Amino acid sequence: MPLANFTNLDFGQVKTTLREYLKENSNFTDYDFEGSNLSTILDVLAYNTYITSYNANMVANEVFIDSATLRENVVSLARNIGYLPRSRKAAASTVSFFVDTTNITPVPSTITLKKGIISTSQGSFGRQSYTFCILEDITVPVVDSIASFNNIFIYEGSLLTSNFTNSARTPNQKFVLQNPGIDTNLISVTVRPNEQSTRSVKYSRQDSLFDIKSDSKVYYLQEVEDERYQIIFGDGIFGNKLEDNNFITVDYITSNGDAANGVNQFTFAGRLVYTRNSQEYTVTAGISLLTAGISASGGESIEGVESIKKFAPRIYASQNRALTANDYETIIPARIYPETESISVFGGEELVPPQYGKVFISIKPRFGDFIPNLIKENIKTKLKKYSVAGIVPEILDLKYLYLEVNTKIYYNTNLAPSATYVSTIVQNNTTKYSESTELNKYGARFKYSKFLKMVDDSHESVTSNITTVAMRRDLKVVLDTFAEYQISFGNSFHIKNMSGYNIKTSAFRIAGVQSNVYLSDIPDTNRVTGSLFLFTLSSVGSQSPTIVRRNVGRINYVSGTVTLNPVNVLAGKTKDGRPMIEIEATPTSNDVVGLQDLYLQLDISGSNFETVTDDIASGLDPSASSYIVSSSYSSGNLVRSGGPDTNIVTGNRTGGSSASTSNVTTQQTTTSTSTSGSSSSGSISY
Amino acid sequence: MPLERVSQGFKDISMTFQSNPLTSDLIALKNENAIARSIRNIVFTIPGEKFFNESFGSNINRSLFDNIDELSALVIKDQITESIENFEPRVDAVKVVTSPDFDNNSFDVVLTYEIIGADIPPQELQFVLQQTR
Repeated sequence: MPLANFTNLDFGQVKTTLREYLKENSNFTDYDFEGSNLSTILDVLAYNTYITSYNANMVANEVFIDSATLRENVVSLARNIGYLPRSRKAAASTVSFFVDTTNITPVPSTITLKKGIISTSQGSFGRQSYTFCILEDITVPVVDSIASFNNIFIYEGSLLTSNFTNSARTPNQKFVLQNPGIDTNLISVTVRPNEQSTRSVKYSRQDSLFDIKSDSKVYYLQEVEDERYQIIFGDGIFGNKLEDNNFITVDYITSNGDAANGVNQFTFAGRLVYTRNSQEYTVTAGISLLTAGISASGGESIEGVESIKKFAPRIYASQNRALTANDYETIIPARIYPETESISVFGGEELVPPQYGKVFISIKPRFGDFIPNLIKENIKTKLKKYSVAGIVPEILDLKYLYLEVNTKIYYNTNLAPSATYVSTIVQNNTTKYSESTELNKYGARFKYSKFLKMVDDSHESVTSNITTVAMRRDLKVVLDTFAEYQISFGNSFHIKNMSGYNIKTSAFRIAGVQSNVYLSDIPDTNRVTGSLFLFTLSSVGSQSPTIVRRNVGRINYVSGTVTLNPVNVLAGKTKDGRPMIEIEATPTSNDVVGLQDLYLQLDISGSNFETVTDDIASGLDPSASSYIVSSSYSSGNLVRSGGPDTNIVTGNRTGGSSASTSNVTTQQTTTSTSTSGSSSSGSISY
Repeated sequence: MPLERVSQGFKDISMTFQSNPLTSDLIALKNENAIARSIRNIVFTIPGEKFFNESFGSNINRSLFDNIDELSALVIKDQITESIENFEPRVDAVKVVTSPDFDNNSFDVVLTYEIIGADIPPQELQFVLQQTR
């Protein structure tokens, strides 16, 4: 008998195995003919085996968190290692308004905003209308006939209430909130001795058994099937045990998650009341318009299966302690700040010079580029629960390392409708690549060869491409202040020319020089370090620089660091309303990495895509006599374009403090009134 | 000289599942009986009934509710011929005669075929096709 393959999951294979068996062991011969009775019996047997093996396979898959696919099972397996998946998050916003009570006599002493719906999004937001609500009543005093509700937090979604009566006679009683889409941070649980009682006790949510006593008023939460949540109360040993007839009230918000992010106009839809003689009266007049504080943000969908699979084992491995850098990288997105898109953590000992006892955290939020200071403080406070005593977490602002590519795309004119068509396809693909997770994370690496392949594969007409890569960082400058600047690229610089001009900058103004200056470098003979100098140019494309100051700083080509001695910068290129100097360098390796807290970004707007006709492949010039050669090395201007050219924003040079830029806009010819002459000048021909 | 294919004989199980009173073995269908049974199975199976082989069978049940006439008879004849040619490799020279029986609202089918590789005279199989619902 042939060896039976027991791992067969396919009906046909199972049937073949059965036929092989019959071939050896039976008096019957007609198993081969589909019309025979025996074939029908084989069909039934094979189908049965097929169903059984499919079920066995599915069951085995769903037993392990790596292979499970059904959310219910993944959540259940994560529960075994103490992981509660993140719930949907309601978008939150703040609003302020006031109520004029002059038409109520006598004027009430307080006004109460009842819990529930407060406002709706004004107009339609993305063709949808959203409601915002609060979890608990807010009461404010009436001062001078005005009741002011300032910066009250409102949450997108509907406030729902579920009531349960605890019954000692019901074994395995479960308190399941029947609605999906609940934000677990916005659940309020109160317990009354019985339904008629007016005395209620608020219960708080807990995740661990630490510090829980037998009478602690706590509840636990777990996700059950269909993205719903079950509330579990204590057993009298860990947490207070409920008694018979205890009446449980659960207020919670079901939201639309991230769909409501960005709503910033609200219409009042709440209920305001005042109490007189133990009777509530509703206020309907004198309510002002709602002023939105911050637009709705923080809304998020429920944690997906893939994310649970990723984070549950890691959270378990970190044992709720932030010890190694990896622990921080796991705990912050999973437990503290779910809006994290990417995170990088490293110990202070890795810095030069080292800063012992500190851990540096750099977070790229999902919305926007930087984390507000308030949230930074919040994260630090929450981290205290997890981090080792004596370790100070520091949250750094994101530092972008931009990549600019200059691509010459050779294409076969017979296969493409136009050069623009090819260029557009390549740019679209590059944009997709620049937005992919390959780049948008800490510790990312720009893979040069992959990039070339992506360009080549963009369209069938592309025959080859020649791409040069440049790195850029934007040095934010403080205007009108002597300051020392240091900026690191985290990648080695390529020394193209020992006579200098290996780095390029955008134009800026310094005190004492009447025209735009640029920064560049001269390498030392050791090819590791070099000195910086400032020069002027008659125009951006000019190749005749005039050096105005030498030795204004140092450059380290190996570590990729540029250090400027104290300098008073008066103006720079303005980006996002902030003055800065763009510094560009050619990397030694075309594979550029985002070191430590550097966040790699492929800057499409700063990149150049040029199409070149491939005359050889197109058949126009088979002998290659007029082939257009493109250099594989970057070349061109000595400087970057842009700077305080015509309309510049300068700081207030007469004032002592100069933290902020003033709004004085002046022409180039009137910007500088120098107080001291330039230290040295000279010109070199290039 | 061309090779002559001689079959070992055909042996199929009987769907009656009756046992031989002497040996207590299942009753087997042999040779021409087995093939006749197989042909009936093919003709009476509606496509889609057999697991993972949805083309197996013949579509005659669709034609049974058409008007009883020569045209329908022709369609049925074609369907029977096609299905046997497709799924029964043991027979050859299939000849199908379908004649409408107007009085009984049915078709009489007479199949004649030869069995390949067996020393058996040409076989004739008759059945009546009538819609039952």
